[in-house]
Amino acid sequence: MKKLLIYGAGAIGRGYVPWVFPPDQYELTYVESNPTLRDQLNTQKYFTTYCTKNDQYHTLKVPIAKCFSPGEELPSLSTYDGIITAVGPRHVQALAPNLAKATCPIVLFENDETLTEILQKLSKNPHIYFGIPDVITSNTAPQKLLDKDPLSIVTENGTCFIDDRAKSLGGNNHYVDKKELTKQWLAKLYIHNTPHCIAAYCGSLCHKTYLHEGMQIPQVYDIVKKAMLEMSQMLKIRYHIDTDFIDWYSEKELSRFANVLLYDPISRVAREPFRKLEPDNRLIGAAQLALASGVIPHNIMKGIFAAFLYNKTNDPDFNITYLVNALTPENFLKLIIKLNPHEALFKLLVEAWGPDMTELKRMQIK
Amino acid sequence: MTQNATLEIAINAAVTAGNALLQHYGTGLHPQQKESLRDLVTEVDTLSEQEIINIIREKDPIHGILTEEQGFIGPKTDDYWVVDALDGTINFIHEIPLFCVSIAFIQNKKPIVGAIYNPLSEELYYGATGIGCFKNQISLKRNDCPLSQSLLAQAFSGKAYDPQNRLKEFETFGRLNDLSQGCLRTGSAAMNLAYVADGKLGGCFGKANKFWDIAAGLLFAELAGATISYTLVDTEKHLIDYIAAAPTCYQELKVHLDGLIRSQ
Repeated sequence: MKKLLIYGAGAIGRGYVPWVFPPDQYELTYVESNPTLRDQLNTQKYFTTYCTKNDQYHTLKVPIAKCFSPGEELPSLSTYDGIITAVGPRHVQALAPNLAKATCPIVLFENDETLTEILQKLSKNPHIYFGIPDVITSNTAPQKLLDKDPLSIVTENGTCFIDDRAKSLGGNNHYVDKKELTKQWLAKLYIHNTPHCIAAYCGSLCHKTYLHEGMQIPQVYDIVKKAMLEMSQMLKIRYHIDTDFIDWYSEKELSRFANVLLYDPISRVAREPFRKLEPDNRLIGAAQLALASGVIPHNIMKGIFAAFLYNKTNDPDFNITYLVNALTPENFLKLIIKLNPHEALFKLLVEAWGPDMTELKRMQIK
Repeated sequence: MTQNATLEIAINAAVTAGNALLQHYGTGLHPQQKESLRDLVTEVDTLSEQEIINIIREKDPIHGILTEEQGFIGPKTDDYWVVDALDGTINFIHEIPLFCVSIAFIQNKKPIVGAIYNPLSEELYYGATGIGCFKNQISLKRNDCPLSQSLLAQAFSGKAYDPQNRLKEFETFGRLNDLSQGCLRTGSAAMNLAYVADGKLGGCFGKANKFWDIAAGLLFAELAGATISYTLVDTEKHLIDYIAAAPTCYQELKVHLDGLIRSQ
């Protein structure tokens, strides 16, 4: 039985990893910084992950060897056959000193391709590879499942693409070459990530808790679908990705966002809007790419405005509300979003600010 | 008025006034001397101040405003706004890009809300008690550091407020310059304090600085994790002695500034 160390017992780490590295073939050990979750895992010594397939839940009871607090795993690091990280893009760089000591393949499930190279440099360890869990995994489960096991978590039946240099890890994964990995990543980045967070911000405006609830509102569905279309056009023009693949991928994503079994919390997807509004990230970056490809991103812009209106006092970026209220559109876009007043997106956003904000606020009231 | 609304007024006023300053930067000004050669006022100070007053009066007609150029205006309230429409006037006149607008709201004699804006660097600092301190979109939490690893800044008063101690001020400046990574005299006490909050400076201190220069900055430094102390040394002239620094640096600074800076 292969031994796998997983950094992060959250949505991907706990919910999805056991489906692609099944517990009858892999012994799973976790490293988790949340002390409550860690204690629960160590006391219970297993958890349950549910996979939604054909409108039903499929159950996997996952025994775990141990859940370490960060740093506790270091003495045993050389004993693992593989390491997976799923701690989030903001936290993964802090793992560099730990990863430096590892000799096995390390796969980053961090939703950011650039981090692979950064981690390789920081840790001086070349055996760090990118992986794309093409899946939506909730970080919780509906109450009826939590009643059976408080550590229950729900995932979709996704597909996992991993750099083929890590293929010794095995499991139910697709080990693909660089070209295929890039194609999958571009689709994930722009047909999944961008519309996914737009669905979350629009759903939040309508006071919904889960993503599928927002997608049931026709206006939200319409904005998400059209934003996806804008991204699809961009991918065809800029990256020459074939139409059939993009159309299939788009249909798949729309169904996923609306999956009523998944219970994907909006607060998880919409978290930290400033990160998603960074110049190269999934909202502003996506809109810039669309414009550079000759596509006017009207609906991505609506998603951007919905992110500006994301008003959650428990979110790390809760200060966005003060800034949106206090600053003129021009000052907000210049000082906070770091757009240059001379660029096209700045001008388009200023122009659309009034009408789009009014439309979105109407959704908020309803 | 809620604290959130107060914060939004401070941010709005600071940025609006900062943009007004920028329009006059490098255009040739006509400074007038106030209390000393280093204490000047320009037409831009007045213009920027009026912008801020207009915004505050429109959105918060209840509270009075302590300003640098016009004194206390509006209702005589216990809680009030304090405004420096251009901190670093000399830098502004000489086109050195370190100046800012500084606005704070004072409750129970303490700053509880503030905004500092440098329109050239586009650094917008803001914060409030119970909410935290931010620069643009980023939440600020500074690191601790000792004096030997700190860059410092000292702010002198516009004129020798306490002439007998003036030499001691200069002597302290030199000594701390050698005991740290350097001691600056930047020309903007508000920016010094914002930089302490931001972790750029390990610490800063000043003797007989005007309250409007430092009110917002003291709040930010404390909210970001610096240790601060200050004493009102002249109620009529609104003069304050203060120290703000990373906790370890603060303890060391306190020893060196004993007898010079009256901070509690």
